[in-house]
Amino acid sequence: MEFFERFAVPHPSPAIYASMVAIGLVMIALVVGLTYFKKWGYLWREWLTTVDHKRIGIMYLISALIMLFRGGVDAIMMRAQLSAPENTLLDSQHYNEIFTTHGIVMIMFMAMPFIFALMNIVIPLQIGARDVAFPRLNALSFWLFFMGAMLFNISFVIGGSPDAGWTSYFPLAGNEFSTSVGTNYYMIALQISGIGSLMTGINMITTVLRMRAPGMTLMKMPMFTWSSFIANVIIVFAFPVLTVALAMGTMDRLFGTQFFTMENGGMDMLWANLFWVWGHPEVYILILPAFGIYSEVISTFSRRNLYGYKSMVASMVVISLMSFLVWAHHFFTMGQGALTNSIFSITTMAIAVPTGVKIFNWLLTMWKGKIEFTTPMLYAVLFIPLFTLGGVTGVMLAMSAADYQYHNTMFLVAHFHNVIIPGVVFAMLAGLTYYWPKLFGFMLNEKIGKWTAWLLSIGFLLAFMPMYITGLDGQARRMYTYSEATGFGPLNMVSFVGSGIMAIGFALIVYNIYYSTRYASRDISSDPWDARTLEWATHNPVPEYNFAVLPEVKSSEALWDAKKKGHVLFKGKYEEIHMPNNSGAPFLMSVIFFIWGFALIFSLWIPAIIATLGIFAFMTHRSFEQDHGHHISVKEIEETETKMRGAK
Amino acid sequence: MKIDHSLPLEYSTDQNKLNILGFWIFIGAEIMLFATLFASYFTLVDRTGSGPSGAEIFEITPVLIETLLLLTSSFTIGLGVHAMRLGRVKAMLTFFSVTLILGLAFLGVEIYEFVHYVHVGAGIQTSAFTSILLTTLGTHGAHVTLGLFWGLYIILQVKKRGLTPQTANKSFIFSLYWHFLDVVWIFIFSFIYLKGMM
Amino acid sequence: MKELFPAKQVIGFAFSLLLTVIALAVYFLDMPFAVGMTILLVTAFVQAGVQLKVFMHAGETEDKAAIYTNVYYGLIIALVTIFGTLLAMVWDM
Repeated sequence: MEFFERFAVPHPSPAIYASMVAIGLVMIALVVGLTYFKKWGYLWREWLTTVDHKRIGIMYLISALIMLFRGGVDAIMMRAQLSAPENTLLDSQHYNEIFTTHGIVMIMFMAMPFIFALMNIVIPLQIGARDVAFPRLNALSFWLFFMGAMLFNISFVIGGSPDAGWTSYFPLAGNEFSTSVGTNYYMIALQISGIGSLMTGINMITTVLRMRAPGMTLMKMPMFTWSSFIANVIIVFAFPVLTVALAMGTMDRLFGTQFFTMENGGMDMLWANLFWVWGHPEVYILILPAFGIYSEVISTFSRRNLYGYKSMVASMVVISLMSFLVWAHHFFTMGQGALTNSIFSITTMAIAVPTGVKIFNWLLTMWKGKIEFTTPMLYAVLFIPLFTLGGVTGVMLAMSAADYQYHNTMFLVAHFHNVIIPGVVFAMLAGLTYYWPKLFGFMLNEKIGKWTAWLLSIGFLLAFMPMYITGLDGQARRMYTYSEATGFGPLNMVSFVGSGIMAIGFALIVYNIYYSTRYASRDISSDPWDARTLEWATHNPVPEYNFAVLPEVKSSEALWDAKKKGHVLFKGKYEEIHMPNNSGAPFLMSVIFFIWGFALIFSLWIPAIIATLGIFAFMTHRSFEQDHGHHISVKEIEETETKMRGAK
Repeated sequence: MKIDHSLPLEYSTDQNKLNILGFWIFIGAEIMLFATLFASYFTLVDRTGSGPSGAEIFEITPVLIETLLLLTSSFTIGLGVHAMRLGRVKAMLTFFSVTLILGLAFLGVEIYEFVHYVHVGAGIQTSAFTSILLTTLGTHGAHVTLGLFWGLYIILQVKKRGLTPQTANKSFIFSLYWHFLDVVWIFIFSFIYLKGMM
Repeated sequence: MKELFPAKQVIGFAFSLLLTVIALAVYFLDMPFAVGMTILLVTAFVQAGVQLKVFMHAGETEDKAAIYTNVYYGLIIALVTIFGTLLAMVWDM
C-alpha cells in the first residue's frame, strides 16, 4: 500500500476527483468504441504508424485543439476565482497549480503543436516536395510531443500538478519548497516534448534547404515557408538550452546536485537565466510562423503580391539573431547592475523595429488592394491593431527603469496575452480556416467563422484591457485573491466576462467544424480562395504523393503567375514515385519514453533503467534496419488523378 | 533509387545528401547544448561552497592522456573516411576499429578520473562547481559512449553489407559526430582543465 | 600503404598536436591570466577550425554555404549566450 501512496494527489478536491472519473470514462469509451466499430486496425495502419506529413499535421492539429480547451478551462477557473475580492472558489494551492499548467499547456502543448501542424501541412506543399526530409523522424517528433503532453496532463490526477509557475523558478521549484512530484512532471514532460521539437526543427530546415521544387530559389519561397524556416532555425539553437536547463533542474530534484540550490554554491538565478535564454527565442518561434500565415492571408485576400518581400525576409533574419540578445529583460529586477539592464533594454527596444517593418508591409499590401473579408482575412485585419497595442506595451516593459513598476503585475500578463492571442492564436485560427479545405476537401462555414473572430476579439479586449489598469495600480500576478479595499474587483469582473465571451468563441470553432462537416459542399475546386502559392496547385484533399508531377517554379507566387501569366507549372509526364514506408517504431518508442518519464518522475529506478534500455533497443533496431520505402506505380497515379479530377 | 556515380558514395543519393546536411544542423544544436553547459560552468566555477576548487582536484596526467587519445582517434577516423573513399574496405574497418579502441581507452581514463574526484571529496552533490564539472564532462562522456555503440553497429553493417550508399553515408556521418566530440573536448581541455590549473 | 595516409590529414594531425603543446604552455609556464586566456582562446579556436576544414570536409559540397552559415550562426549565438550569461550572472551582479 505504501508503494501506491506516492501516486495520490497531495491536494485533492472534488474537481480533481471528478476529473479522474471523467478521464476514466473517456478512456473506457475510447476502448469500447474502437473495439465495437472495429477501428483498432484502421487507427494503427492509418494514423499511429503514418509518416505522411499531412496526417502528422492533422494529429498535431487535433492535439492542439484539445489542449486549447484544457488550458482554456484553467483560464476560466482563474478568471472566475479573481472575479470578486476574497473569492473562495479555489484555494491558493489549487490556484497555483492552475496558473502553472495553464501557461505550460498553452505555450508548449497548444501553440507549439499548432504551429507544427501548419508547418507540417503547408511547407512541403508550398515548396513542391513530396514529404519532409526525414518522414520517420517527423513521426517520432510528433509522438514525443504527444507523449510529453499526455505525461504532463496526467499530473493532476496522479501525484499532483506542478505549482511553481510556468517558469518554475528556483528555489521555489526545488525540493525544499516543491515537495510533490509536480515539478518533476514539469521537468520531464517538457524534456520529452522538447526533444521532439528540436527534431522537427532539424527536419524542417533540411527540408526547406534541399527539397524545394526546381526553380524555387530561397528568395522565391512563399512567405510562410520563409517565416517557418527562420522559426525552425531559432528552434534548433534555442531548444538545446532548455534541454540542458531541464536536465539540470531534474538532477537537482532527483539526484541532489547543487545547480540551483541555496547552499554549497548553488545559484537559483542561473535557472531564470537559462530558462529565458530559451524562453525569449521561444516567443519568436511562435510568432514568426504566425506572421507567415498573416502574410499569405493578407496577400491572397488583398489580391496583391506581398509588399516588401525582401524587407520581410531581412527583418526575420534580423529577428532570428536578435531574439537571442534580449533574454535578460525578463528579470530586470533580479539585481544585476545598470550596465546589463541598459544593454538588454536597448536590444529589446531595437527588436521592435523589424517587427514594425512587417506591420507596415502588411498595411501597404492592403493599400489599394481589393480586400475581400473572408474569415482568415478578418482575423488578419483584427490582428494588426490589437497586436500593435501589445507591441507598444512591450516597448514600455523594455525600459528597465520603468520595469520595476510593471514587473510581476497584471500589466505584464496583459502584455504577453496581448501579443500571443491576437498574434499567435488568431493566426492559427486564420490558418486553420484557410487550410481546412486543403486537408479535408470542404470549407468551414464563413458566417460562424466571422462570429468567432468577432467574439474572440471583443472577449479578448474585455478580458485583458482591464489588466493593464489593475496592473499599473499594483495588482500582482499569481495572487489567488485580493481584498475589497484594493478596488480591483469590478475590473476583474469585466475580465471574467471577457473570458466567458472568449470561451463561447472557442466553442463556436468546434461547432463550426461539426456544422461544416455535416453541411458544407464537397464540390469545391482545388483553389477555393483564388490563392497565389504552390500548395493550392494540387487537389483537395491532397493525395499521398502531393504532386503527381513535381512543379517547376519561376516566382514566389507560382500559382498566381500560372493563372495570370500562363507559366506552366507541371511539365513532363507521370513517373514512378518513391515514398517512405509507414512504421510503428516512432509510436512505440515514444510510449517507452512515456514510461521512462513516468518512472523518473516517481523515482522508480528499476523501471526507469529498463525503459532506458528499451529506448536504446529501438535506436539499435533503427541502426540495423533497412528500409528503402516503396514505389507508387504510374498506373496508380493515373487512377488517383482521374478520380480526384472527376470529383470536381 | 538514383545513384550519382560522380560523387563519393556517401553523397551519391538524394537521401544521403539530406542525411548529411541534417546531421550538420544537429551539430549546430549540439554546439548550443555544450555552450549552455559552458555558460553554466563559467557561472558556477568559483562557487565551490565547502567543496574543493578545480585547481585542487585536476591532475594534468590523465587529462593529457585523454587529450592525446581523443585527438588521435579523430585523426584515425579521418583516415577511415579517406580509406572508404578509396574503396579500401579492410583499411577503413581497421581505422574505424582503432578509433573505437582509442575511444574506449579515453572512456576508461575518464572513469578513472571520475572515481578519483569522488575519492577526493568532489562528488556530483558536493557543490555547484562539482555538479556542473561532472555534468559537463559526463555529457561529453555520454556522447562518447553512445558513439562507441554507434560506431560498432556501423562496423558490423559495413562488414555484412559492404560499402553501399547507405553504409558509406552512415560511416561518414559517424565520422562527423566523432570529430565534433573531439572539438568539444578541445574546449573542455582548454577552458575547464588548463584554465582551472593556470 | 602511402595512399592511406594523405598528406593533408597527417599535417592536420601534426598541427593539432602542436596546438595542444602550445596550449600546455599556460600550465607549465608562469604567465599573467590575460596572456594565458589569449593563448587558450587562439589555440582552441584554431584547433576547432582545423577539425572542421581538414577532417569534417565542411566545404566540399554544394551545401557548403548552408553548413558554414549553420556553424557560424551556432558559434555566434553560443558566444552571445556564454558572455551574456557571465555578464548578467557574474560580472555585473
